[in-house]
Amino acid sequence: MKSSRPHAAWVPWFFLGPFLLGFAIFVAWPLVRAVALSLEQTYGPGVRVFIGLRNFEFLLRDPLFWTAFRNTVVFTLGSLLLQMPAALGLALLLNRPSLRGRHWFRLVFFSPALIGMVFAATLATLVFEKQTGLINYGLHALCRRWDPDFPWLEDYLMTSLLLAALWLYTGFNMVYFLAALQNVPADQLEAASIDGAGRGRRFWHVTLPSILPVGGFVVLLSVAGSFQIFVLPYVMFLRTGGGGPHDRGLTILMYLYKTGFLAGDLGYASAIGWVLTLLLVGLVLLHRRLTRGEEI
Amino acid sequence: MRAPLARLLGVLSPAAWLVVVLAIGSSIGVALVRVPPPRGLQFWIFAIQHRPYYLRAVAAWNHRHPDEQVQLTLINGNSLQQRMMSSFFSGTPIADVLEVERTIVGPAFAGPLDQVGFVDLTDRLRRQGLLEAVNAPSFSPWTSRGRIFGIPHDVHPVLLAYRADLVAAAGIDVSHIATWDDYFRVMAPLMQGRDGSVERYLINGWPSDLYTCEILLLQAGGALFDARERPTLNAPANARFIARLATWYTGPHRVARSLDYFSASGHQMLQSGLTVGLLVPDWYVGLILKPEIPGLAGKLKLMPLPAWEPGGRRTSAWGGTMLAIARSSPRPRAAWDFAQYLYLDPAGAIALFRGDGIVTPVKSNWGNPAYDEPDPYFCGQPVGRLFVDEASHVPLRTSSPYNQLAISAFDNCLIDVTAYAARTGRFDPGALVPEAQRLLDAAQAEVRSQIGRNVFLSVQP
Repeated sequence: MKSSRPHAAWVPWFFLGPFLLGFAIFVAWPLVRAVALSLEQTYGPGVRVFIGLRNFEFLLRDPLFWTAFRNTVVFTLGSLLLQMPAALGLALLLNRPSLRGRHWFRLVFFSPALIGMVFAATLATLVFEKQTGLINYGLHALCRRWDPDFPWLEDYLMTSLLLAALWLYTGFNMVYFLAALQNVPADQLEAASIDGAGRGRRFWHVTLPSILPVGGFVVLLSVAGSFQIFVLPYVMFLRTGGGGPHDRGLTILMYLYKTGFLAGDLGYASAIGWVLTLLLVGLVLLHRRLTRGEEI
Repeated sequence: MRAPLARLLGVLSPAAWLVVVLAIGSSIGVALVRVPPPRGLQFWIFAIQHRPYYLRAVAAWNHRHPDEQVQLTLINGNSLQQRMMSSFFSGTPIADVLEVERTIVGPAFAGPLDQVGFVDLTDRLRRQGLLEAVNAPSFSPWTSRGRIFGIPHDVHPVLLAYRADLVAAAGIDVSHIATWDDYFRVMAPLMQGRDGSVERYLINGWPSDLYTCEILLLQAGGALFDARERPTLNAPANARFIARLATWYTGPHRVARSLDYFSASGHQMLQSGLTVGLLVPDWYVGLILKPEIPGLAGKLKLMPLPAWEPGGRRTSAWGGTMLAIARSSPRPRAAWDFAQYLYLDPAGAIALFRGDGIVTPVKSNWGNPAYDEPDPYFCGQPVGRLFVDEASHVPLRTSSPYNQLAISAFDNCLIDVTAYAARTGRFDPGALVPEAQRLLDAAQAEVRSQIGRNVFLSVQP
């Protein structure tokens, strides 16, 4: 049988061209410019002075950057510790065929991911208000000793941020785990059951290894997303100057935004951006090393 | 062999062709549609409360100046800041005249002086005698490196509002209160409930409240920057101030409690009498207290702030707005005429007071009898006169682009000293001063390092 006619050499380039052009203009060139920019101090794009590596040098001893870095790491670890077990637990629960209305519950838990982030953050702010906020009001109603003036958005910024993120993202991560759970080989589960394995052993020895690649991917997505968290804390902490007391709510991207787009120092913001990029690349490489390049 | 057209069409699916056609068509459409340039002077404001008066003022101006029509636009404060800075950085469209609030103006002064996006009004103000006509301290937030970039909208002196009904019921005489120590001593009986527990507190405030911190610091004579805009966070006077203020918030002599200024819960707590006193600027009276907490009508009175030391300052300042002209405005002359009309007109000053409770910075208007009218909300006190009497005593404020950073760092020290007092059981201000000084030294170093890396500021720390 005659094979189809080979394409002319230009055909792949014709199809790749639009992407390559867009990539070059909107990704590659800005990245190169960001390197150059990180060696300058600017006041907006128009006023600039070359200062060599001083932005990076200052970054290493900038307490605000390290506060933002520490907050971001705490948020990332807290998110992982709270969201992953919650998402997996919900997925296991909602994967049970015997559960009535599970499709409805899936939608309910996923629904926070469907609403706009600014709207969600505004709602979260109202929920954590003193006196009238749902959490303080509810806790006070349940336990009269709870102080209805509990300052979630002043002294417990990271806790409130973690709780808001838990509400927003658990359902989203749950969907990944649900998809993975539906691909767990039924014959292996059945074989384990025949061999006398209980529910816990089946989960530990069959289900968990099967969903581990997806779990690793969800962790990677969560880490990358947590390191880039911006809108949620920006809106929630707007009233406390963006970072709150001791900048406890300041994240790396918030600091980058304030530096670059409010103070106009695009050079320093680029330096922060590059450090964040290198961090994320490092985390991806670490993830690949830990999973030994295992595909999902 | 297929026709060339058929071959070309076969390269993409019908749906993909539809996308291509839509993309090309919409691009051409966007390129062809001409957005008409805005007509007349563009005037941006951020405060919805200012809008009703400005609508009337602009209508009157437009009636008298058919060739220089003004178009008023209300924009959210954060959006205004971002559009303003985008314009200064990249030349995106901006209004000819814009109202700018003090907390968002800082970044506009962070670059070289010749890159400030507002028209330098210094010489014009001097030529027209406005430097003398307008309350001098009111220029300070809009002055960078000796140049003035805006006409002040207000003075915003701060007074103390207190629950006159509770005071009268307890038979307390407030006429001899001159200092904060007097105030807390005289009002102390109001704190105790029937069972001896603390029923209410004497003043509104909490350690992480930046507003109260800055208001009281300025009143006490402290400052975060000197006249050359160099940071002075660790001045000994500031350490003494923090040590004293921390004892308001913790320990056996605690007198303050948190009560949010702008939320329904805060209003509810104020109305229920959880605090006796509240720091109030003129705008808070006109725009928040009276319209949002009508239940307090006839229950509050005003007095000058008790001083930190006998004979000390009896007021402070909170907030502030200026009217600035964008340097990119093609009609700077008309913009200046409009700015003068809006901010310096005597009728406008009185309308501003009657509508929003705000005292004008134009001193010649201060004699107007409108300020002497009794206000039933404050038990018939002449509220305008009380604010006007303190207007010329408001403290100078900085325009440093690093002010927000400095006040945050300063307030963090207050939070830490308060926690230190609670932890160690030291509630004597004198014993807290060394810790306050140590923390302020660290905060000063932090703020200095941030300012020090800005190569554009001609004044280096």
